[in-house]
Amino acid sequence: MAPKADLLQGTLDLLILRTLSGEPMHGWGISQRIQQLSKDVLQVNQGSLYPALHRLEQQGLIEAEWGSSENNRQAKFYQLTRDGRKQLAEETKNWDRLSSAVARVLAGL
Amino acid sequence: MFRHLRVRFTSLFRRERLERELDAELRYHIDMLVEQNLKTGMSPAAARREAVRVFGTVAAVKDDVRDSWLSRFVEVAAQDVRYGVRSLCRNPGFALVIIITMALGIGANTAIFSVVNGVLLRPLPYQDGDKLVVLHQGEGDPVANDLGFSPKDMDDYRQARSLSGVVEFHNMFFNLIGRAEPERLSTGVVSANYFDVLGVKPLYGRTFVAADDAPGAPAVLVLSNKYWERSFAGDPSVVGKIFRMNDKPHTVVGVMPPVPQYPLEVDIYMPSSACPFRSSPHMIENRGGRMLTAFARVKPEVELKKSQADLELVSAQLQQQYKEYYPQAGFRAIAVPLKDELTRNFKSTLWILLGTAGFVLLIVCASIANLLLARMVRREREISVRAALGATRTRLLRQLLTESLILAVSGGVLGLMLSSFSLKLLMTFAARFTERANEISIDVNVLLFTLGISILTGLVFGSIPPFSRRVDVAPALREGGRSSHSSQGVRSALIVAQVSASFMLLIAAGLTLRSLMKVQNLDPGFKTENLLTFRADMSFDKFPLTMAPPEARQRRSVYWATFEDRLKALPGIISAGGGGTFPLNENPPFPGGFEREFHPAVPGAPQPQMAFRVATANYFQTLSQPLVAGRTFTDGDNADAARVGIINRSAARHYWGTDNPIGSRIRGIGNRPGSTPGPWTTIVGVVADVYQQLDQNQPLDEVYVPMRQIPQFGTTWILQTRLTAEDATRQIKAAALAHDSDLPVSNFRTLAEVRSTALAPRRVVVALIGMFGLLALVITAAGIAGVIAFSVNQRTQEFGIRMALGAPRSRVLSLVIKEGLVLVSAGLALGFFGALVLMRVLGSIIFEAPAGNGPTPPPLKLLVDTRTTDAGTYIGVAVCLVIVALVACLMPARRAASVDPMIALRAQ
Repeated sequence: MAPKADLLQGTLDLLILRTLSGEPMHGWGISQRIQQLSKDVLQVNQGSLYPALHRLEQQGLIEAEWGSSENNRQAKFYQLTRDGRKQLAEETKNWDRLSSAVARVLAGL
Repeated sequence: MFRHLRVRFTSLFRRERLERELDAELRYHIDMLVEQNLKTGMSPAAARREAVRVFGTVAAVKDDVRDSWLSRFVEVAAQDVRYGVRSLCRNPGFALVIIITMALGIGANTAIFSVVNGVLLRPLPYQDGDKLVVLHQGEGDPVANDLGFSPKDMDDYRQARSLSGVVEFHNMFFNLIGRAEPERLSTGVVSANYFDVLGVKPLYGRTFVAADDAPGAPAVLVLSNKYWERSFAGDPSVVGKIFRMNDKPHTVVGVMPPVPQYPLEVDIYMPSSACPFRSSPHMIENRGGRMLTAFARVKPEVELKKSQADLELVSAQLQQQYKEYYPQAGFRAIAVPLKDELTRNFKSTLWILLGTAGFVLLIVCASIANLLLARMVRREREISVRAALGATRTRLLRQLLTESLILAVSGGVLGLMLSSFSLKLLMTFAARFTERANEISIDVNVLLFTLGISILTGLVFGSIPPFSRRVDVAPALREGGRSSHSSQGVRSALIVAQVSASFMLLIAAGLTLRSLMKVQNLDPGFKTENLLTFRADMSFDKFPLTMAPPEARQRRSVYWATFEDRLKALPGIISAGGGGTFPLNENPPFPGGFEREFHPAVPGAPQPQMAFRVATANYFQTLSQPLVAGRTFTDGDNADAARVGIINRSAARHYWGTDNPIGSRIRGIGNRPGSTPGPWTTIVGVVADVYQQLDQNQPLDEVYVPMRQIPQFGTTWILQTRLTAEDATRQIKAAALAHDSDLPVSNFRTLAEVRSTALAPRRVVVALIGMFGLLALVITAAGIAGVIAFSVNQRTQEFGIRMALGAPRSRVLSLVIKEGLVLVSAGLALGFFGALVLMRVLGSIIFEAPAGNGPTPPPLKLLVDTRTTDAGTYIGVAVCLVIVALVACLMPARRAASVDPMIALRAQ
């Protein structure tokens, strides 16, 4: 896989994991929350959201369960697994390191 | 880990459900988008259009999701396989040992399973074969006490409404005349709709129609595919040809396709109207003349149970209506699926073989697990490094399991090849027990079975090592690859299990071998050396069937007497004896009820029975069957002389006790009260016992009558000769031709051949179990050697210290050997109890193999004259295992004892 895609994919994964660190959520909720928290800067493309969710589920980082949503319809709720939590901590650390490094480089110029 | 595996397997196998769920999930998302759009005031149609636009093409999203389901699994699996193959290639010797061990275990199981599959599991290759049944009627257990069916019986059972066709079969031998040589053909005499009920369409011509079975209809024949290939080289123009058989011309009307023949393989078929016996008015009218086997087809919508009730209704009615023709106590009729009927006598042998093969696989499993465990200890560093570099435990486990599966499947493929080589041999073996032997092949079922057990075995032996050791990163790295003792316990347990399983297997092999030896060494009571046998069968129409019975008997007597004289006159023939059948022949003599003069039958007591044999004057001398008292027959004991008989010692002891049987008189009586008894026969001699079957525990009670007084149509002859079998055969054929150009002589065999044929099934079974036992022994020995060698490796330093402190080499040697012997003793103790329990469980199968009447061959009694607790076998096997274990320990022990203390100490 190309490194560029990896980075983007990794970022989306991190965002999903972070969003799910609170309560279980369905796909629609996740996309809304990310959009809301980023103040509409980050628009999650559904075309990458669902493949990412399923991939994370395959990797055992999140697990899914069917439940009823706020408007009383059946929806698929995702939540973090223990592995997912570990992964989130790890990725957050990496991200912090990366972003502060990038920030330092930018500040130094 | 298992949860993840589950998700993956779900994605592999429950595709449909996943798809449905994905649909629902995406639909929900779009609906939410629509709702949001509605809130902003769009019209419903516009809202949906906009939502779909924003969402993008649903199909594309789905595609991407689907990719994520499988891609990762496949990707990781491929990576594991690549890594696994590389890692195994680095150590080809190790991989080869495992693959070969595995191949032997899988090969044994595949071979036996292919037989089980072919004869027990596969449906009969007839149309709706599962609906075909065989009927039995009799007292108590109708299968064991089958009376057979008379034509009248058949008509009545046709009333059972749940059966769509009830057809008859009986087997006769007839002479076909009109070709270069007269041929004696095994003939199936059947109802006209026999082939229709079985669902067989002819390859050429036609099968029988109702008109063929009308009394006096022109006689017709259908050829079996094998006979047609063999005798007519597959020439279709044989249809329409006319041959003479019995007293009339027979027209060939059809040829059967190459389908298996039930209940037995015959050369030709004829409708019942063409059989001179079956079509005689006496036979048709006589309700008690039961010579037929009855087949039926259960109607498609009816369950077997229902037809069962129907049959019992008919049998109860018959019993009421014709009291004198049916037993009054516990009489009933049952239907047995044809498929079960054909393999009844083979089933127990097969299950035992499959069981022993399963034991081998268990031993293989334990042995490979042990090898992998040892390898894992050696790979500890590699594994620790991978763990340190971030591989999760799950990932490492998967990698190890993948390697095991690669080994297992390679071994399975090799095993499949091994088993396919043994297929021919197994078919020959199975043919002695069931007509279905030709259906044995390696088909999809067998392939799936092999793949299944290979993977299962791989998973079992593959998961023992990783789960019995925790992969800890730090200690393994620190200790420089030296392992702790944590796995030694598991390894020892595996060895103990192997030894005990091998012990049980070897006990089974030992007991059956002992039985074989007993059977082989059994003195059958006569000579089998330098004796040639053959059979000669007079055509039933040699003398007109209308001739009065006494005159016909007289003519037959002279006919065979002349033939006997011709045989005796041949150069190189020392002695010639004739009879109805001979000991060890596949056809046993028929038992018949008899009555002793002045000893009328006690009402209610079982009727005295003896096997009825026919013999010429020279019969006993030719067989070297000793005369115990009185005289043998002379040529003067002919049709004109007073009836005489000779009994054997067993019958004398049984029915005469301390009385002298010589001079007393007996007569044969029918099986029904009221039937005409035979003429009084004076006992003139007593002969020694012979065995008809070698694994019979008791010789039969027998009565011999002179061939010149009871001349039959079919005869067998035994000749003591100075000639080679080929020369003698040629001479006999010439003599037969000179005697009567229509007399077929066939089945030329030496008695030694007959004997070895009789022993062959037992030999093969013993060879198979013995081979399995030997395999187990070798694998176990290798396992012991491996474990001890490994332990010695681990303790090199300890031994160095011991010797440096003055321990003599012999002490080190005995230390190591003791370690091995402790394991072996534990295994032996466990195996001892296991064997006792196993034999108890199997006891009934081994000893009381259920025998049934009918055309199927008898079952093989695995143990003959041998107890399951036979001390000799147990001690022998134990000693053998201990010796093998000692030898296995000796190599590593000697290495331990030859350790140079200084080098050992420095090595650390």
